[in-house]
Amino acid sequence: MHIVNELYEKFKAKFEGVNGECYRVAQTGDLGDLMSDILTQKGVKTLSIFESPLSQAANLKEKLSKAGFEVHTDNLLATTAVDDAGITEVKWGIAELGTLVQIAPEVDNRLCSTLVPIHLALLKTSSILPELDDMLATIHSLPEIPSFVGFMSGPSRSSDIERTLEIGVHGPEQVIVILVDE
Amino acid sequence: MANNELKKEISNALENNVLRGALGRFAQAYPIAREKAFTGYDFEALRNKVQEVKSFAANNIDEMMDQFERNATARGSKVFRAANAQEANDYVKKVAESHNVKRIVKSKSMASEEILLNEALREDGIDVQETDLGEFIIALAGHHPSHMVLPAIHLTKEQVADLFTDYTKKKNDPVISYLVKTARTAMRKKFLEADMGISGANMAIAETGTLMMMTNEGNARLTSTIPKVHVYIVGIEKIIPKFMDASYILKTLPRNGTAQNITTYVSMYTGVTEAYLADGSKGTKDFHIVLLDNGRRNMLKDEKFKQIFNCVRCAACINVCPAFQLVGGHVYGGHAYTGGIGTLLTAFLTSEKTANKVQNLCLQCGKCKEVCAGKLDIPEMILELRNRNAAESGLPFTQKFALDVVSNRKLFHSMLRIASVAQKPFTRGQQVIRHLPMFLSGLTEGRSLPAVAEKPFRDIFPTIRQDVKNPKGTIALYAGCLLDFIYPKIGMGVIASLNEAGYKVIFPKEQSCCGAPATYMGDKENALKSAILNVEGLNSEKVDYVVSACPTCTHALKEYKDLLKDNPEMLKKAEDLDSKVFDFSKLITMLGGLDDKGDGEPLKVTYHDSCHLKRKLGVYQEQRDLLTNTNGVELIEMNESDRCCGFAGSYSIKFPEISGPILDRKIQNIVETGAEVVAVDCPGCLMQIAGGLDQTNHKIKVKHTAELLLEKRKNQQE
Repeated sequence: MHIVNELYEKFKAKFEGVNGECYRVAQTGDLGDLMSDILTQKGVKTLSIFESPLSQAANLKEKLSKAGFEVHTDNLLATTAVDDAGITEVKWGIAELGTLVQIAPEVDNRLCSTLVPIHLALLKTSSILPELDDMLATIHSLPEIPSFVGFMSGPSRSSDIERTLEIGVHGPEQVIVILVDE
Repeated sequence: MANNELKKEISNALENNVLRGALGRFAQAYPIAREKAFTGYDFEALRNKVQEVKSFAANNIDEMMDQFERNATARGSKVFRAANAQEANDYVKKVAESHNVKRIVKSKSMASEEILLNEALREDGIDVQETDLGEFIIALAGHHPSHMVLPAIHLTKEQVADLFTDYTKKKNDPVISYLVKTARTAMRKKFLEADMGISGANMAIAETGTLMMMTNEGNARLTSTIPKVHVYIVGIEKIIPKFMDASYILKTLPRNGTAQNITTYVSMYTGVTEAYLADGSKGTKDFHIVLLDNGRRNMLKDEKFKQIFNCVRCAACINVCPAFQLVGGHVYGGHAYTGGIGTLLTAFLTSEKTANKVQNLCLQCGKCKEVCAGKLDIPEMILELRNRNAAESGLPFTQKFALDVVSNRKLFHSMLRIASVAQKPFTRGQQVIRHLPMFLSGLTEGRSLPAVAEKPFRDIFPTIRQDVKNPKGTIALYAGCLLDFIYPKIGMGVIASLNEAGYKVIFPKEQSCCGAPATYMGDKENALKSAILNVEGLNSEKVDYVVSACPTCTHALKEYKDLLKDNPEMLKKAEDLDSKVFDFSKLITMLGGLDDKGDGEPLKVTYHDSCHLKRKLGVYQEQRDLLTNTNGVELIEMNESDRCCGFAGSYSIKFPEISGPILDRKIQNIVETGAEVVAVDCPGCLMQIAGGLDQTNHKIKVKHTAELLLEKRKNQQE
């Protein structure tokens, strides 16, 4: 657990360094309430979920619907184009860089993490790897390279106008990760 | 060469205060941010690996392409090899036609700009939308990119607001965050409507058939996620052998380009992915990869230029280029590639004519070579371009004439002797010339020129008393034109120090101009003439060392072996010279340094590194140690001490409008230290900096290290 905490601390610092927001829960069961709070605080009314083991274990669709959010889980091209937020589970984190790593051959998984203004990612705390090279080696050791692997390090950004850094261009304007220990 | 058209472009760029302001601020912030991003990483080790994997791919390009194609095809990608722009454009048009495509979204692809793909598609009536913020802005303005990473850096937020107001038909205020939102909203619609996407890639991995893209805005992800058809345009130099090799590029490219630890997005595509089809159902994306040659194989066939394949397009070279920082990308003329690396890419991929013109903008300061992620020797390749151009089209008459004169020792030296008398009306009894009449006035704009010494060093030498008991050996002094005819006092300093180290100094009278002016203007013939004169004249086999107090000369002397490689007898002598010639500070240090004998008078000194001494000869600590080991000297480092002073030989004459502002920045850095003296080891830098200080009425003196050591130690020497 000591190693996990160390990687978590490093990851959190780096992720916040690239303008991401980082939370941590002990139990899957705690996810619903925390997410509800975060989404309310951000003024979110509608959201899309790309269902994953964590989202299902936490029963997010039902909990968030009950909490008053309009929740979509299919036909996501139409919904992510208008929804306030998207929720996906990512496979790994890289502590060295504060990077979220998704394996997303499914188009909905990509839309739910790209087209929405707020991306809320779920990640198992134990899936944080120390360095970029560990990540590349892990991907490389899979039976085949997945058709899409995406690294995401914070919200989208650009310095194209007068070299002034602006957060939130075509991709998400806010990226939040919730790490789940269980 | 520096023709009128180019001159006009330069003057336009220099008058653009927005561009100069933005580029200037970036230039200030970049080195610090880059250094921070590399903290904890071994840049040298990383770029050695980049060079290794990229050159391996280049040397095995056929095998690499076969492997990539096999692996990408196995995963459902369709790979097309395009020999030239026409083939690539025709293929993309055919794909578009087969899907009845009406609207295309693009994320940044320099290769597509190189082949003018947008123009080709628009001929077919297709709506092509650049979605990258900077590219979107310049497309609205009808401009080409002015920077490889920051394409719209030449425009203000006010100009962008006007463009957006026209585009959206709604008033846009010049507030950057608001403008970014406007682009987001406008592009969102385009993404959702598009039936085809076009992108570029940063890497293509042979082992797995994977494409990797490094982006920040998220437009590349949307471009490759939403449309049901996608085409990647990938130059064949983007192929690397193994998946794990990506590590080196992922670690160097963003740190070097924008000082980021990693780009916001790294996307890896291996074969086909799922997409929404036209009817709303989910299916498989039609996924095409165009492997583009378009001149790249010619690059590979050319021993001098094949290293361009090692470029990862990070643009670090541009970020540190003193000339680029002033004029920006448009002056470089190529519609896709800018700066030094851009000049080379333009030569092979788009327009040789443009490249031959803009290669003149290179100062040859070598700063780009220090930061290049692929270890490219950009200055050397630019020089080669210059050589070939001069060999093919010849040099303009006045330049050729000047070089012919300089390479003819007797003629040149007698002209300088005449000049020392003829200059009198301009010197007004001082050591400098502040104004020259008529067409020569540009030479004295912003800096004064030194007067030719009344007596050249070669005439003074026989009168110098050298008191060396039991000399340890003999050293031949190579003076070079500036020391010989303008700054003879440096020579006296060199001799005093070497005598103190126990060596006797001789002055071989047959020595002549080192040939660097000819080399840097692409005149091989006169460079060779100088090489022969000096190899014979210095006769290094008869001495223990050869010393020079001008790093440009030292470097030129060392390179004679390359010029004379076809002449076995001369080559032997040139190799002997190469092994014996050293720059002053280096040689003194090698011989054991000097004892602390300074006069103890407090003197604040700052030091300017000459490009040749630091980057070609690798000497930067020795002279600092010699200075700080002199009692009384307090060394205060200036900001950007190794940034070019703008002299660069004939550059300051050809482009005084660029050389001038570069000098201004150097002067500012010097003044900010509060030093009384700037020490330099190069007479060329001395001339330039002294000229600038003189015209800005600063009382700061410029001295060669040898001269300063002589002054601070002379009373103690006897």
